[in-house]
Amino acid sequence: MKLNTMAAVMSFVSKVENESAQLYEDYARRYPKIGDIFSSFIKENKRFEKGIKQTYFGVITDTIEACYSFEGLDTDDYEFVINSNPSTPLANALQMALEIEDKIEKFYLKVAELSNSLMADIPIACTRVAKKRQDRKATLQSLLEKV
Amino acid sequence: MEVRRLQNYINGEWVDSESKELEEVRNPAWDKLLCHVPMSTKAEVDRAVQASKDAFPEWRNIPPVTRCRYLQRLIELMEERFDELSRVQTTEHGKTIDESRGETRRAIEMVEVASGIPSLMQGFNLEDIAAGIDEYAIYQPLGVFCALAPFNFPFMVPLWFLPFAIACGNTFVVKPSPRTPMSQAELFSIFDEVGFPPGVVNLVNGAADVANHLMEHPDIQGVTFVGSTPVGRIVYRKCGETGKRVIAQCGAKNFLVIMPDAELDSSMASLMSSFFGNTGQRCLSGANALVVGDDAVYKRFVDKFVEAAANIRVGDGLDESVQMGPLQNVASKQRVAGVIERGVKEDAQLTLDGRKLNLVGDVPETCFLNPTVFENVTPDMSLAREEIFGPVASILRAKDLDEAIEIIHGNPYGNAGSIFTSSGKWARQFQHDVAVGNVGINIGIVAPMSFFPFGGRKDSFFGVTHGQGRDAIRFFTDPKVVIQRWF
Repeated sequence: MKLNTMAAVMSFVSKVENESAQLYEDYARRYPKIGDIFSSFIKENKRFEKGIKQTYFGVITDTIEACYSFEGLDTDDYEFVINSNPSTPLANALQMALEIEDKIEKFYLKVAELSNSLMADIPIACTRVAKKRQDRKATLQSLLEKV
Repeated sequence: MEVRRLQNYINGEWVDSESKELEEVRNPAWDKLLCHVPMSTKAEVDRAVQASKDAFPEWRNIPPVTRCRYLQRLIELMEERFDELSRVQTTEHGKTIDESRGETRRAIEMVEVASGIPSLMQGFNLEDIAAGIDEYAIYQPLGVFCALAPFNFPFMVPLWFLPFAIACGNTFVVKPSPRTPMSQAELFSIFDEVGFPPGVVNLVNGAADVANHLMEHPDIQGVTFVGSTPVGRIVYRKCGETGKRVIAQCGAKNFLVIMPDAELDSSMASLMSSFFGNTGQRCLSGANALVVGDDAVYKRFVDKFVEAAANIRVGDGLDESVQMGPLQNVASKQRVAGVIERGVKEDAQLTLDGRKLNLVGDVPETCFLNPTVFENVTPDMSLAREEIFGPVASILRAKDLDEAIEIIHGNPYGNAGSIFTSSGKWARQFQHDVAVGNVGINIGIVAPMSFFPFGGRKDSFFGVTHGQGRDAIRFFTDPKVVIQRWF
């Protein structure tokens, strides 16, 4: 599906943050030894969503081009499927999380790029979340190497 | 099912109008009846003005910092109901949800700025104008003001004025557009929740009769109006005759000058928003694209512009994939379609015909047009001179910036003008020379923030001080000068 407006991007932000948070809730239950790390991801996801939306709702005015900045951001490139099989080994679970985080990072970077003609706050907020996603990927990678 | 009938809000209470005359408010995307709005009687206008007049002495004596607290509560409640308020705007007007959210945000910003009134309203003084004698000026409120609001920004426009007026200690009557009255009904439900003293803010629904009675009312100190130039002239004249202050923000025909060095790829979203945002129904819309340069420059611009306009997704504004909503009503659509037909007869080249509909979803065609682009438009054509208030872009050419500015100055309006260029020299010349109230440099919609005045010149504005910011404070107060000596 193509996203053509900032309103649609905001809805997709909620979707990716909520769905990935659900994944980490599942992981926190399944892998209690490292559950705290996943719990911290869940809190972060809520902060990311809130931060992006606060930025959007804070700067959107009739001067900016929220309906016209997106020639079509294809959600197919950023959709992910969560495999919630309880018998999945930790290494596979971490690998799946890494792939999802990579997609989400790319999504935010693309939004930042396409929203350049909006007030700078929106691309800055998206770039900030993308950077946090890089940090998260490093954490997941480090866990994976220890398995 | 019984259709809701809107009420008036007078003296702190919701009241049914006695009027039997009702108009329909329809959702333009689905052509569905939303509610009925009464055309209130003169007696109801009188009651609203009297309530405002009665509330004034007590309200003006409330310290400004305390009046601000009402506004701060208002901000809190508007934030809480942000999306609900935005959806009402889309429902009754047709604009996209992003555009409505933008309108809500700017409305809130007005209240935020007005809540700085303890600083904004301060006067000035000078000790010792002569030995032992001091002089100072204090800004005082005047009484009852009113807003005659347009249909195109049904939520925001009354708030260009009302928060500043009441923060200064005045009281206020709003007459919404009968085409889009629901947003103000929502706003007044919030006023009610805030708990303003009765009579400080009042809402009277109606059309021209109500507006005329407000303008003629001896207890109204000043009128704020946003709408067309022909009506604005009447408002200005009537207020002059009755000795009222007036801000009349009127029609427009805004030029966007595209210089040969314009960054087109970065600017196209801005251009689309300018010409087609709010379905072209706003006084800051781009109307004429004035391209400076040779044939290659012209072709490069037109190709990109027409392609982008053709790709705009048109449909129900509540659908998040939609980029442009319908015209506000079927009469607007017919009028704009007539303008397109007249443009063809004037020998302009119809490059993109918005009458050939391409709509998202299964919405009825009733109020919809797609973006329209004309080429070979000359400054003397009605397409280039008259306000269209719809999604129609005209493309003109000029050999250089001097000629472009000359063409702009030949137009009767002077609301806004923009230049798209990479040259600081050209930008500076444009800013300096062009006779418009709001200038954009690589900005398509020059909507001044709430802490700046909303300008306008020539047939686009009648009055002296403008709305918003410090200009609004001057409009809603009068400087009283005191000279004092103590023996």
